[in-house]
Amino acid sequence: MNRAAPLVEFAFWLGVAVTAITLLMLAVTLIMRRVALRRDRIYLEAVARWRPILVAEPGGIATGLPTLSARDRSGFIRVWNDVHESLGGGTTDHLATLARKVGLEPQLYSALQSTSFHDRVMAVIALGHVHSAVSFTHLAGLLDDKSPIMSLCTARALMQVDAQRATPLLVARIVERSDWSQGSIAAILQEAGSARVSGPLTEATLKADGELASRLIRLLAGASPDAAAPIIRAWLLAASDEHVVSTCLQVMSNPADLDGVRPLLAHPRWHVRMLAAATLGRLGLPGDDQRLIAMLSDSQWWVRYRAAGGLLQLSFVGTERLRQIQQTQSDPYARDIITHVLAEQAIGSTA
Amino acid sequence: MSAFWAQLFLMLEWAFFAYFLCINAAYLALHYVSVFSILDYMRDHRTDYLPRDLPAYQPPISILIAAFNEERSINSTIHSLLQLDYPEFEVLIVNDGSTDAPLSILIAAFNEERSINSTIHSLLQLDYPEFEVLIVNDGSTDATLSSVIGEFSMVEFPEAYRQRIGTEKVRGIYASTRYPNVRMVDKVNGGKADALNAGINCVRYPLVCSIDADCILHPASLGRVVRPFLEDSNTVASGGVVRVLNGCTVKDGFLEKVELPRQVLPMFQNVEYLRAFLFGRMGWSPSNALLVISGAFGVFRKERVVAIGGYRTDTVGEDMDLVVRLHRRAREGRRPYRITFVPDPICWTEVPSDLKSLMGQRMRWQRGLAESLIPNVGLLFSRRGGAVGWLAFPFMLLFELLGPIVEIVGYIAMIILWWFHVIPLQVFLVFLFLAVGMGIMLSTNAIFLEELSFQMYPRVGQQLRLFLAAVFENIGYRQLIAFWRVIGMFKWLFSGNARSHWGEIARDGSWQHPNGAGAGDTRKGGGS
Repeated sequence: MNRAAPLVEFAFWLGVAVTAITLLMLAVTLIMRRVALRRDRIYLEAVARWRPILVAEPGGIATGLPTLSARDRSGFIRVWNDVHESLGGGTTDHLATLARKVGLEPQLYSALQSTSFHDRVMAVIALGHVHSAVSFTHLAGLLDDKSPIMSLCTARALMQVDAQRATPLLVARIVERSDWSQGSIAAILQEAGSARVSGPLTEATLKADGELASRLIRLLAGASPDAAAPIIRAWLLAASDEHVVSTCLQVMSNPADLDGVRPLLAHPRWHVRMLAAATLGRLGLPGDDQRLIAMLSDSQWWVRYRAAGGLLQLSFVGTERLRQIQQTQSDPYARDIITHVLAEQAIGSTA
Repeated sequence: MSAFWAQLFLMLEWAFFAYFLCINAAYLALHYVSVFSILDYMRDHRTDYLPRDLPAYQPPISILIAAFNEERSINSTIHSLLQLDYPEFEVLIVNDGSTDAPLSILIAAFNEERSINSTIHSLLQLDYPEFEVLIVNDGSTDATLSSVIGEFSMVEFPEAYRQRIGTEKVRGIYASTRYPNVRMVDKVNGGKADALNAGINCVRYPLVCSIDADCILHPASLGRVVRPFLEDSNTVASGGVVRVLNGCTVKDGFLEKVELPRQVLPMFQNVEYLRAFLFGRMGWSPSNALLVISGAFGVFRKERVVAIGGYRTDTVGEDMDLVVRLHRRAREGRRPYRITFVPDPICWTEVPSDLKSLMGQRMRWQRGLAESLIPNVGLLFSRRGGAVGWLAFPFMLLFELLGPIVEIVGYIAMIILWWFHVIPLQVFLVFLFLAVGMGIMLSTNAIFLEELSFQMYPRVGQQLRLFLAAVFENIGYRQLIAFWRVIGMFKWLFSGNARSHWGEIARDGSWQHPNGAGAGDTRKGGGS
């Protein structure tokens, strides 16, 4: 056993080390929990102290304000942000007065330097609600933060502070940042208003192609359908990029552009045919019903489904006419899909 | 004992020791890779920093529930699905030549009459804009079918059904007249994989979420598990972590209160789920080498699943097999792809509370592991294998598949050596001390990482109970699990692949009733 002795000794001391590490991890876990509980308690106390003050009616907050201590900062900022979000677009003048009285702005600038990601993001959101022109420079530096959460919150705050100045910066980042969620950008642009954003956005969309063009067309169509219409028309007529064409089909809203849509019913990619059929169903004119009837025998289920659904959507077709169309179909797939959409209509269910 | 045998056993002891160090070091490394990923994830995804009017785009989703005898639970499950809360569907994303479309949730269920109602209830509370729920009644012998039809005012629907993947006969498709996004497929019993395939044939949306009928989801679960598809258009699958529901309180399909299990076995499994299923799996995600997405909760790109022929029906590990084949097909075809693990505590399931069910479950999982790995062994060290072929596959083969055998042989060898006085008792105890100590350290590390990240058990008392469980699960429980897994391996070796079926697990379902009124029940169990 002599040869095994060093191994046994090593195993023993390794076991001792492992036990010590285990106990250390347990101790650290318990300490972390105590710290977290204390932090939560302080936070909740601050929230309880400041919430009634911030939600008070305008005029009711002018006197007897407690001092905003560093200890209360996180809780205050949370309440500050919550109250603004709950007000929507409502008046916040009384909150601005309160912010000045408690000296919120300098506190927010120091929160921007915090090592805590949470505190920094909350400070950015709060600065957006403060609307102080001075904060623009502080915030602009965070627009290129690698975290999409931080940079998007900064983008929104900048637009709230000075939309005129922020829009070109924002549009440039939309082009660069594929990690920004489309819904969030759309909401920021919508908040700023179409008049402010449509110019720079149109300019960027005209220069874009491929996936970027799809993203920008969606945003532009959401912010300003009128500005998007000529761009959509041009892409539909060119039909050079099926992804962009698909986007255009989804967002287009002008029946005058249907001439660019109809040829797409013969597109080799089924998802383009499907979207073209759906678009004709949404915006179609008399005569388009015949085109959709032809699509009822498409090889792809989704194309047939959207064609049948589209026929039902056309105001000049209706249920009875669709039943008649079904009778005239020799293709069983076409008949089945009409049965399907009629049954869906009867129970109020559509995909 | 002869010198030869003594020498042989001594070598075995060395090998066992080296193997033990390797497996623990590998798991520890996985834990620490996962903690960095989780902390990054927590920073960017867990907190609702973006104001309420800035919902991220989330594509619509279909929910598929495969049910067998779900009479008692299926209605509440569907009700909960109908409460799904999700920002309105905004746009379709076009990528990779196809349209990114709404998402379908499949609930695979077999004789889930008690808990499926709660599952559907929880699904109906989910925070998601557009989805459909598809329940597949896999030839239930109880009143699941009539129960769902009655509860949700369903009528037979003339669906233009497309059988893209071969399945047992579909007897009928039903649609709810009250909830437009709830449908049910009634089919001849064919096992879980067959039910899921029938569901995939029937779902409408490109993203399919498969969940077990006995799962309770977090309201934001769909949004979180779909997020990888939005962030990376090459994502083909995304899995969520499964947490232990025992001890928690569920009311009206909502997880009302998170608590630790009161019984010993579920408590041990709780620690095990943290150690192996959360931090163990998350560690593979950054290198795109995740080989397991639990059948209890995962989202897949439908076309990729159809392209590989859907779920295999000749295995009990259909969930893991699907993921392994997705990896293999994508790597062989040199297609960019991503398979992601979402660490949020978003799916909760009841774990077995009796030894018999636990044994059956673990034997089935081990068998499923073998049935998934061996047919895909071509991925191992393959030229295009990447991290999955060169790291994750060998890891699974060496530590997960063969690990229990090495562990059990190691223990037996040491007992024999001690019995025949080849090694003194002191040596035997030292090795036992180290083996158990390392297990406890890994489990404690998982508790530490949990505190660092999700903090689901915030009370000091809960943490101490978890620690006690971490200590005692390494004394007896872990060895018993290894033994059952060895039996599962032998069953696979000697009887070949098993047909995908609904495992039987006795559950009390008391989490559904705050007053603990639930009586014993035997229902199917989820995958690994």
